[in-house]
Amino acid sequence: MIQIRDLKKRFRNNVVLDGIDLDINEGDVVGIIGPSGTGKSTLLRCIDLLEIPDGGSISIDGEKTELSRHSRSQTLSLRRNTGMVFQRFNLFERKTALENVMEGLVTVRKMKKAEARMCAEAELKRVGMLDWSGHYPKHLSGGQQQRVAIARALAMKPKLLLLDEPTSALDPELVGEVLETIKDIASQGFTMMLVSHEMNFVRNVANRVIFLDGGKIVEDGTPREVFDTPKSQRAKDFFAKMHLLRQPEYTI
Amino acid sequence: MQLLAEETNLFDFGLVGRQLPELLKYLPTTLELAALSMLIGLVLGLLLAIIRIKKIPVLRQIAAFYISIIRGTPAIVQLYIAYFGIPMFLKYMNLHYGTSFDISAFPGFACAVFAMGLNESAYNAETIRAALSSVDRGQIEAACAVGMTYPQALRRIILPEAMTVALPGLGNSFIGLIKGTSLAFTCAVVEMTAQGKILGGRNYRYFEVYVSLAIIYWAVTIIVERILKLIEKRLELPEQIDKKKDSVPETGSEVEEREAAVQYDTNTRPEKALSQ
Ligand SMILES: Nc1ncnc2c1ncn2[C@@H]1O[C@H](COP(=O)(O)OP(=O)(O)OP(=O)(O)O)[C@@H](O)[C@H]1O
Ligand SMILES: [Mg+2]
Repeated sequence: MIQIRDLKKRFRNNVVLDGIDLDINEGDVVGIIGPSGTGKSTLLRCIDLLEIPDGGSISIDGEKTELSRHSRSQTLSLRRNTGMVFQRFNLFERKTALENVMEGLVTVRKMKKAEARMCAEAELKRVGMLDWSGHYPKHLSGGQQQRVAIARALAMKPKLLLLDEPTSALDPELVGEVLETIKDIASQGFTMMLVSHEMNFVRNVANRVIFLDGGKIVEDGTPREVFDTPKSQRAKDFFAKMHLLRQPEYTI
Repeated sequence: MQLLAEETNLFDFGLVGRQLPELLKYLPTTLELAALSMLIGLVLGLLLAIIRIKKIPVLRQIAAFYISIIRGTPAIVQLYIAYFGIPMFLKYMNLHYGTSFDISAFPGFACAVFAMGLNESAYNAETIRAALSSVDRGQIEAACAVGMTYPQALRRIILPEAMTVALPGLGNSFIGLIKGTSLAFTCAVVEMTAQGKILGGRNYRYFEVYVSLAIIYWAVTIIVERILKLIEKRLELPEQIDKKKDSVPETGSEVEEREAAVQYDTNTRPEKALSQ
């Protein structure tokens, strides 16, 4: 059980998150959607303390952290309980796929090399990248890099996996393999927060969708509720715009 | 008689070669000076670079001040200051804190290493700082996200990558340092150049001895350059990698299981009850 309370973040005079409350059950896949610049990335980054919020708290399985004034050990423990998958993969350039996945296990979890290797190989296999374990990121396609990044995050056994637009830096033909991988791990019971512009995908993979706008949660419900019968005007406008973009060119 | 010899033998070509062994005896001193100073320069330079990158208050101002002083004064002046200053400092310690440093025994070699190490650190700090900040932020964030502390991220991720960037610059400065050790005479250290002067003083064949010195320094530089190139090569990531062939192929049933899971997921996965 993950409870986020009154999460606040602003950049100078730009209030990005204006008191977010969110309860997430174990195994939930929460899709986060909303207009560009509305603070979806900021929300995930605040949870992982890559951005320091101005206020709020998060508790994961009863372990509560005040986000704005936290000790170093709390920061580390929060980060160790969460995993992050970045838009631009952010693999360690000088490490092979296998070493990328092993790194956290050895350095942070203090696992023995051999044990870490076995874990890492299992994770690479899960995302279908075992055959590429000796490759460096520069030898991998974007989709492959993202799958390794997912394996790296999963290897740490996070209680909450944060995915920030995991496919939006990919060439269209590579999007499918990554979505397939995410769908796969979603079905294995990982708790996830997924920011994505792939509406159809969110609809398919999430069991709960949140629409973020103006620093607040505007819609919150099942995919069907949010996509098909949005209550707020802002969400309706957003979907209408999305829909227009999706029309084949000749009808415009 | 002497004059005649000089006229008939304006440049004693043989002497240039014959003096080499006498000079080479002091090559180890030169290299030790350079290596030890470089070590200090690297450690201190890294420290200064981290202070500047992490913008640590107070220390940051001190670091900027220190770098400014070192870069704003000639190396030879710094060496003299160390040579005369360190014994004075020890004398002061002895007087005021009752310590018993043996001032007369404090070697000029240590003063020279100290001064050249500090000098080197100020220049290395800039090279290392630039290299550290060239490391892509995303990788540092990724390291933080898996739960590494900053020292862990520094050691495991940032430094290995920054190293490859800093290496050419640091290599250059090491080569400069090897030649710069010839200033160590200011601290009464006899290294190669000082020995050359001594040899020249014996037979007044200064020109020959400096030519011999030039040859040695040049050769050393070439060797060091080669070694640096080798290290650079070793740090390079391979161009191409074979796809692993020996991994166990997925069994048919595993593939089926996974497909089944995906099918289940897309079509029939029940929407879980919401918490609210
Ligand atoms: N470091 C920063 N300094 C100042 N403003 C920032 C910073 N990071 C983000 N912002 C601002 O915060 C707001 C939210 O940004 P964020 O990246 O979270 O949006 P987003 O919902 O992820 O958008 P997108 O869908 O385009 O990725 C934006 O207005 C952005 O300009
Ligand atoms: Mg974003």
